[in-house]
Amino acid sequence: MGIQERKQKVFYRKTKKGNIIKIVREHYLRDDVWCGLDGCGMCEGELRPLDVLTTSDSSLVKEPHHLIIDTNVALHQADVLAHDSITNIVIPQTVIQEVRHRSLPIYKRLRDLIDTSSKKFYVFTNEHHGECFVEREEKESANDRNDRAIRLASWWYKQHFRLSNQNVVLLTNDITNRDKARELEVEAYTMHEYVSSLQNSPGLLDIVAQVEEEKEEDVTYQGYLFPPHWPMDKIRSSIKAGKLHQGVLKTSRNNFLEANVLVEELEKPVLIQGRLNLNRALHDDVVAIQIFPKEQWSAPSAVVIDQEKQEEETGNNEDENADEQMLKKEQALLVAGKGDGECQPTGCVVGIVRRKWRQYCGIIKKNDITESLRHLFIPSDKKIPFIRIETRQAELMYNKRLIVAIDSWPRNSRNPKGHFVRVIGTIGDKDAENEVILLEHDCPHTKFSEAVLNCLPKMPWTITEKDEAERDDLRHLDICSVDPVGCTDIDDALHCRTLPNGNFEVGVHIADVSHFIRPNTALDKEAQNRSTTVYLTNRRIDMVPDLLSSNLCSLRGNVDRFAFSVIWEMTPDAKVLSSRFCKSIIKSRGELSYEMAQNRIDNPTMTDDLTISLRNLNMLAKQIKAQRIENGALVLASMEVKFHIDPETDSVIDIVAKQHLETMSMVEEFMLLANVTAAETTLEHFPDCALLRRHPAPPHSNFDPLLAAAKSQKIELDVSSNKTLANSLNAATKDNNPFFNSMLRIMTTRCMMQALYFCSGTLEPSEYSHYGLATPTYTHFTSPIRRYADIIVHRLLAVIIEADRTYPELLEPKKLADLTQHINYRHKMAQYAGRGSAEVTAIASLKGKVSEFDSYVLFLHKNAIQVLVPTIGQQLTLYLDKRNRKKDEIGKLKTKQPDAMEIDEEVPFPEFEFNEKELYVTCNDLVIRPFDELRIQASVDATDVQHQRVVCKLVRPVIPGFSVDPVVKEVVSKEKEKQNHDSQKTEEESKDTKKKREISERGKKKKKIKK
Amino acid sequence: MTNINLSDAEKRYIVDGVKLGIRVDGRESLDYRQLEIETGLVDTANGSARIRLDRTDVLVTVKMEMEPPVPEEPRNGLLRFFVNCSANAAPEFEGRGGEDLATSLSSMLERVYSSPRTLDTSKLCVVPGKYVKVLYVDIEILECGGNLFDTSSLGVKAALFATKMPKIYITGEDGGELEFSVSDNPTDVDRLDVSNAPILITHLRITENLTVVDPTPEEECCGPVCVVVGVTPNGFITATQQFGGGTFTPQTLATAIKSAKDLGQKIHYHLRSKLIQEENNVDRQIKGFL
Repeated sequence: MGIQERKQKVFYRKTKKGNIIKIVREHYLRDDVWCGLDGCGMCEGELRPLDVLTTSDSSLVKEPHHLIIDTNVALHQADVLAHDSITNIVIPQTVIQEVRHRSLPIYKRLRDLIDTSSKKFYVFTNEHHGECFVEREEKESANDRNDRAIRLASWWYKQHFRLSNQNVVLLTNDITNRDKARELEVEAYTMHEYVSSLQNSPGLLDIVAQVEEEKEEDVTYQGYLFPPHWPMDKIRSSIKAGKLHQGVLKTSRNNFLEANVLVEELEKPVLIQGRLNLNRALHDDVVAIQIFPKEQWSAPSAVVIDQEKQEEETGNNEDENADEQMLKKEQALLVAGKGDGECQPTGCVVGIVRRKWRQYCGIIKKNDITESLRHLFIPSDKKIPFIRIETRQAELMYNKRLIVAIDSWPRNSRNPKGHFVRVIGTIGDKDAENEVILLEHDCPHTKFSEAVLNCLPKMPWTITEKDEAERDDLRHLDICSVDPVGCTDIDDALHCRTLPNGNFEVGVHIADVSHFIRPNTALDKEAQNRSTTVYLTNRRIDMVPDLLSSNLCSLRGNVDRFAFSVIWEMTPDAKVLSSRFCKSIIKSRGELSYEMAQNRIDNPTMTDDLTISLRNLNMLAKQIKAQRIENGALVLASMEVKFHIDPETDSVIDIVAKQHLETMSMVEEFMLLANVTAAETTLEHFPDCALLRRHPAPPHSNFDPLLAAAKSQKIELDVSSNKTLANSLNAATKDNNPFFNSMLRIMTTRCMMQALYFCSGTLEPSEYSHYGLATPTYTHFTSPIRRYADIIVHRLLAVIIEADRTYPELLEPKKLADLTQHINYRHKMAQYAGRGSAEVTAIASLKGKVSEFDSYVLFLHKNAIQVLVPTIGQQLTLYLDKRNRKKDEIGKLKTKQPDAMEIDEEVPFPEFEFNEKELYVTCNDLVIRPFDELRIQASVDATDVQHQRVVCKLVRPVIPGFSVDPVVKEVVSKEKEKQNHDSQKTEEESKDTKKKREISERGKKKKKIKK
Repeated sequence: MTNINLSDAEKRYIVDGVKLGIRVDGRESLDYRQLEIETGLVDTANGSARIRLDRTDVLVTVKMEMEPPVPEEPRNGLLRFFVNCSANAAPEFEGRGGEDLATSLSSMLERVYSSPRTLDTSKLCVVPGKYVKVLYVDIEILECGGNLFDTSSLGVKAALFATKMPKIYITGEDGGELEFSVSDNPTDVDRLDVSNAPILITHLRITENLTVVDPTPEEECCGPVCVVVGVTPNGFITATQQFGGGTFTPQTLATAIKSAKDLGQKIHYHLRSKLIQEENNVDRQIKGFL
């Protein structure tokens, strides 16, 4: 008993790299593979699900019999197999393997049936059975060999069962297979023939799938999903000839099936729509595109298409048919969502010039079939398609944030293929979530190296006589700093005193970081690489080590600190008469918060020197601001909010909108003035290598969405210059919507270009100007602790005032230009990281409860409305289609919801109509326009622990069949227990933490200067 | 090649025997020892052969890879030879001891096969200029009993004869990269035409005008110089090379080459018939190393 014979299975396989390898597997044949019949005299074995039968229900086969199925039956007749009346089935191993290979969902279903003991399914391991093994013959296809194996297994069963007076019948859908089985004297029928003959199951015939006889599959054929990419040399020559264009692909944020390619030689971006036209190009890839003839041009679609939703609906189907179906469906979606807007040049990707593949953070999608090696990876970046990876350790990866790298994207694969790199941490874990954000935005966040720390001054640090001799001693002045509560990296302080001639002397004192960070040291290089401090809601990633940022450089109260000061003489009507820069030693009289400073100014009983100088500063600042606005500076709005976070549990206690105090504006004005003065001074002395910051005027087309939105509210904006824009923004108010003006400003902010650092020698002087601030030159000087650009400006100024030496890189425009590029990139990424972090925190705060918010319409789409929720500072999407709804209803039915909800179901789903030209959505009589106020309900759908997302529902205005009841009712009916529990908890928490020191992480550092 | 310590008297005995036309083991000077060949004994390789000649034991395996061709010959596949002298074969192979021998053997094989009249490498072309099949021929010297060159070349020919390469179907092109697939049927294979593949015949000079073929290690100690000739089945000489320090008189050299040509043709004929015979034996049990 045991092994009879060794066989070898030989096959060739193509590797990823394109090599062909020969694989040989040992395969042992045994003589102890049992038949599974309960009561078989010859066989042993524990597992014997098959009964000894005594009756037959079939009119075709009179004697009692068991059934053996072939692959096609298993694949296509799973419904019949699942029927209660079908029991006692032998499934050859060959069939199981083939099914698994062809369709994982059906395999899963079949496995479930086998595990159901009442079904009495038995898997016969015929491939390892000494008498049933067949070897593939020359010229025989794999399918034919498998069919032969199944027939042989049937034959063996027939012989074997004779001794137990049993019989078997082979069920097949393949007529030739049936006939060949009959040649072996095995009774064989098609599923249809057999089920028709069953006398006691009349209903069963209906569920027999009518399948055409399976066609022979051509083994060499592989269905290609994507058209091929052109060879590189052909692409190059075609680009030269002007037949193709090259550009960077930017995937749409709203619709993963749509992208724009920015082509240098064309004015407008080229639209790419649909999976096939995108042809495996990813966001940020440099692609070669072919532009369609004008008749085929299209407009950007007006729908929001979420990849995940699509994927969910198509399921994890592995067949090629599924691909086709999916394509058709996507095409339909795109056609349905076709915008009525202006047509844009449209084209398709024919080749990829340069891949911008990197490593992606994300999560793994739970696969129904646990032993499957293939899994889908969902990148956290919505613009990246899902990635297929193979792993044996999927169990370990669920609920984890992972990093995955893309290896290839073959033509026959719907998704790119990649491999697992490493686990970051558990989903929801603070550190893991932060790391995802930092990695996704390419923010250096490792600890400072030994070499960097060695560059720090030795503690205790003291001021030497030499220092005192080199610097202006300003310790006698009443200098103070004004910052948000809890700020530890104080990089600016102010003073103001009256001069004998009635004018004011105003000083801005900036931390002298360049004194500690010497050029070309390890510390300098590290700071340069980081370029900026990154602020996440619950973590700060410093640009320079803590010793500098929070201690030696930080202008703390009542200690001597080095500063770089700019001192103006100003007239009482805020005209600058003179300015000078100097390196100084200061002693701040106090670290004030905005609130404290405001209280001092407002409190008439306080008349100390510090308060008086604050009042003077405030008075001057108001005038400077008025002048600035007169010049055309824009006052824009963003929707930043402050998160109060419990430092111990990391849960959000409270979200508050950023308050605005006069003192904030006061500090901001003087910082702007200092920056402008620094810019003018450096440019004067170094016309070729001053580091400046410019903000280009946006092209008119940038304003199109804003103008359209404003127009739908019957507001006209004049965007011809920053001055006219500022004026028309001031004029645009609505009485019934107090937030309207802010909304308009938020939207205007989105039309703006990015402000950029640049080196003065590399551009024409006319391009230096700053649009938002309406100044001809501008730079950053005031925050050297958290921005590297400021350090460079400090160094330039130090050279000008002869306080420091220069070094070669500083004065070389080319090097400086490269540096500005780098800083710009880091700045942009840090900004995105901060926003990403705010989003994660905001979503976390919504978890486990249903919250209601007032929100304002930002953008309208055919199937969705994007709304802005100022309370949490986030943009949410309210889907207008039924899908959400349906799911919801099923959920409700499951929880056995009584009456209240049933009314809902009777109301038909309302039709939304979207007018893209005039920008509004109508539903029956109701019209929704941009900026309209909507009351929405937001909750986090946590059914999938892996992937939680915010679900929005409309509360007001009421649309029968779509909107939901306000949250009060929901509490009673739907989530009664949970909701009560949660709200209690939140209250307790907030009480608790009031005692604790409130920490507002994000608020630690101000954003005094918007642009 | 391998060093055996022989006394002068023993050497004299061998040399004198050759002069008389009788060698120590009873062969004449142009007799070969008995060869044993078995093909297909390494499952994971595309082709393999093991060849034994007295104590000389060589295992040859062939593996196919898809690679871009060399720019000068975009339409030709490649054969690459690698020789590994196992330290088990002879004590002096230990460490890097076998490297010189390995290099001379592999470069000799490369030379004889580089002739266009031996193996048609254009048949190994998949897509001109993009992909060709490259056959990696690995020669593992398991034991050394003299006459390594001849034995190895016979093994190479036998292994190439037995090489089965899966049929490749070009299915498309993508971004200049070719896409292809292989048949899932393991019997759906291409064979190589080795009817012109050469073998090596070595003549070892014993005395001024006497040479022997297929020398034993002891005989190799007696003759410092040998000439290796690559011969195709048609008697076409593809390469000759002299190894060792010493001289051949023109007559001896001419005779040796002439005899190599005749002998080569004969051995080719026998090898081929035996290989075909083995191929046609359907239920052949592979003996391997058991």
